[in-house]
Amino acid sequence: MILRRAAVLGAAAAMVLAACGTGTTPAPSGATAGCTVGVSWNNFQQPRWAAHDEPNLKKTVEDGGGKYISADANLSAEQQLTDVDTLISQGAKVLILLAQDNKAILPALQKAKDAGVPVIAYDRLIEDASILYITFDNVLVGKAEAEAVLAKVPTGNYVLIKGDPGDPNASTFLPQGWDEAGLKAKVDAGDITILNGPDGTFTDAWKTEKAQQNMEAIIDKAVADGNTIDAILAENDSTALGVVGALTAKNYGFPPLSGQDGDPANLNNVALGKQYVDVFKNANELGKTAGAAALELCKGTAMASLTLPSGLIDASVAPVAGLSAKPFTTPDGTSVQSFILQPTPLTAENLQVAIDAGQITKEDLCKGVDPATGPAACK
Amino acid sequence: MTNEADATPVSGQVQPPARTSLRGLIAQTEIDLRLFGMLVALGAILLTFNILSEGKLFQPTNMVTLAVQATGVAIIATGMVLVIVSRNIDLSVGSLVGVIAMTYALLMTDWMPALGIGADFPFRWAIALGLGIGLGALVGGLQGYIIAYVGVPSFIVTLGGLLSIRGVVWYLSSGAAVSGLDPSFQLIGGGAQGSIGGAATWILGLVGCAAIVALLVNGRRQRRRFGFPVRPMWAEAVIGVLGCVAVLGVAAFANANLWPEGLANRIAVEQNWGPAPDGGWKIPTGFPNPIVLLIGVTLVMTWMANRRRFGRYVYAYGGNPDAAELAGINTRWTILKTYVLMGILCALAAAIASARLNGSTLDVGQSYELYVIAAAVVGGTSFAGGIGTIPGAVLGAFVMQSLAYGLSFIGVNSPGQNVVAGIVLIVAVGFDTFNRRRGS
Repeated sequence: MILRRAAVLGAAAAMVLAACGTGTTPAPSGATAGCTVGVSWNNFQQPRWAAHDEPNLKKTVEDGGGKYISADANLSAEQQLTDVDTLISQGAKVLILLAQDNKAILPALQKAKDAGVPVIAYDRLIEDASILYITFDNVLVGKAEAEAVLAKVPTGNYVLIKGDPGDPNASTFLPQGWDEAGLKAKVDAGDITILNGPDGTFTDAWKTEKAQQNMEAIIDKAVADGNTIDAILAENDSTALGVVGALTAKNYGFPPLSGQDGDPANLNNVALGKQYVDVFKNANELGKTAGAAALELCKGTAMASLTLPSGLIDASVAPVAGLSAKPFTTPDGTSVQSFILQPTPLTAENLQVAIDAGQITKEDLCKGVDPATGPAACK
Repeated sequence: MTNEADATPVSGQVQPPARTSLRGLIAQTEIDLRLFGMLVALGAILLTFNILSEGKLFQPTNMVTLAVQATGVAIIATGMVLVIVSRNIDLSVGSLVGVIAMTYALLMTDWMPALGIGADFPFRWAIALGLGIGLGALVGGLQGYIIAYVGVPSFIVTLGGLLSIRGVVWYLSSGAAVSGLDPSFQLIGGGAQGSIGGAATWILGLVGCAAIVALLVNGRRQRRRFGFPVRPMWAEAVIGVLGCVAVLGVAAFANANLWPEGLANRIAVEQNWGPAPDGGWKIPTGFPNPIVLLIGVTLVMTWMANRRRFGRYVYAYGGNPDAAELAGINTRWTILKTYVLMGILCALAAAIASARLNGSTLDVGQSYELYVIAAAVVGGTSFAGGIGTIPGAVLGAFVMQSLAYGLSFIGVNSPGQNVVAGIVLIVAVGFDTFNRRRGS
């Protein structure tokens, strides 16, 4: 009890000191020396953050002369509020938040505002006009999936495998991307027929087994109707894995199939020719972007005039709108500044990108692949 | 012991009524009306979907798909019957399937190669399967021990299992999907090459037919010997003929499912079968391996439930726990064994699921517990304990899966499938409860 009280007192004292610090010392203009960037992860156990996002973010900050501090909320929205307090009291001048819950994080955001600390919403949106939103474009993910498959199979019979019906990504954003790539126009023009109804088939909780069972029924129906399946659009990798399972069980062969996430099992399927395209969000580049933006914010640059240094991130993922921050309208209608990166479609031709990004080892990628006939990345 | 079990009067073996009404005639055949009713319901469901799909559902390949999809849940449901009969529940089966499926995948991709058991090591599939079954029995046994000997309610223990075992799946693979199983292991999941072929299917059918006749003859002799009333000869003949026609009909239907042409051509080239005959290769697939596995599990489980001391103890305990205890049955040991059995059945279901996927994901087996309990309950297992049959649970699994498959086949999306499955569950059990109340 005594110990606990002492800790609280200590934390309070640190906060007071930190507040004094920001109040009395004017920020060194034009220099990033002493810039402390605080990152609040929602769940560091998910391997992606530790493997890709953090190292790049940290390196970018430290290369720019800043200091990187972080906390892990371990899937607790409550813990994240405490973490944000601690990060501010440790002297963070910029906060990067991967929110566990985009509503529960709002009190933390208010604290940051009160302390005069700018906030970057990392990967996940926070509904507030004051934030800078850094993420991948989910509509573009859908667009990249459909573009790749449509280029391969411009006309014919398509099967649409969607994710959980309750997830807006599954029901809205990704299909919107498919339509932007020209799916709807081709269906309307009669070039493409969708075999499983106009809306395709949803998959409860994005479950691989469920996708497999659904796909088996769709194949049976297509065979019974005398139709050939020419291409399959699956929204993500877990459903695409189920589709490959169904195609294998039915010995159907492997029509062009899409997916996203860059899961190792699916990248291996791309190398094996069982999945045509896997749209990959290169988290390394997202980390670099956030690091660079945080350093700029430290200098006191206004969010609307942020610009990423050229050459920092790979041109293939750079925002379509250019390297300057652009306004983004959230689903609630709030306008925020943003950097929206492009996803990378991976096919057998450019699988080397996944190895270079550290997403998969060559050994895992090329498991079971005949080097003579396999893709270039496996030679 | 078996003699004593035989001598125990089983419900339904009452003096046949002498009336000659239809009801009386059916009663003389001593057909289990419940099971028969479920078969009729299953037929009606399939017929409805066949009409809705304009006659496209009733094809061997579709029925084989449906049956294979039902095997995992059906296999576990055979054990769930015993668990529910003994007044317990097992909510952990889905998570257990998940952790064992992931174990199979990791064994074959990472762990065994790390121990120097490379891809060309013989019988790797059997080693993996054995380890999986061992793991299932171990985890099941642990849960059973806590339930039977420590006395924590099974609902709580297995709810804890549901949560924590699923968490272990995550730690095993760090959340990633693992794929690339041995080709021989993949055969457990079925498919054209994972089927037993035309000849073996016919043999299996004939053996089944012979077994039915032998059972009838033996049953008649036993009844004579102990002075029980015997069925009229015509009833024996009807059952024998109907049984044989059904078994051979199913075998013929499975054999009407042919290898996909592309696969047949490819294998023909690889194995030098010579030129394809006119009209292409016509190779019957017969029963897929998972179906054969399910048939085997159903027979063994039925035998254990009806003919072995263990099975009779389970029913005795479910009917009246106190009486069973006072009669000197080691009830704790019996309960523990039902959970060991569940673990083993989960390992078999996990083998089929991972073989079908050629790997495993974080969510393999998720919500199996609900489907399995639904199958057992639709199949006539009572939560009050003491009542439930294994063939009934298998049929229940087929009823639930035929709904899911049929709806999927005619293009109804998963929210719609869930609505129908839920309603059917309630209606089936409601109907059964109504009938039992009227009967008593």
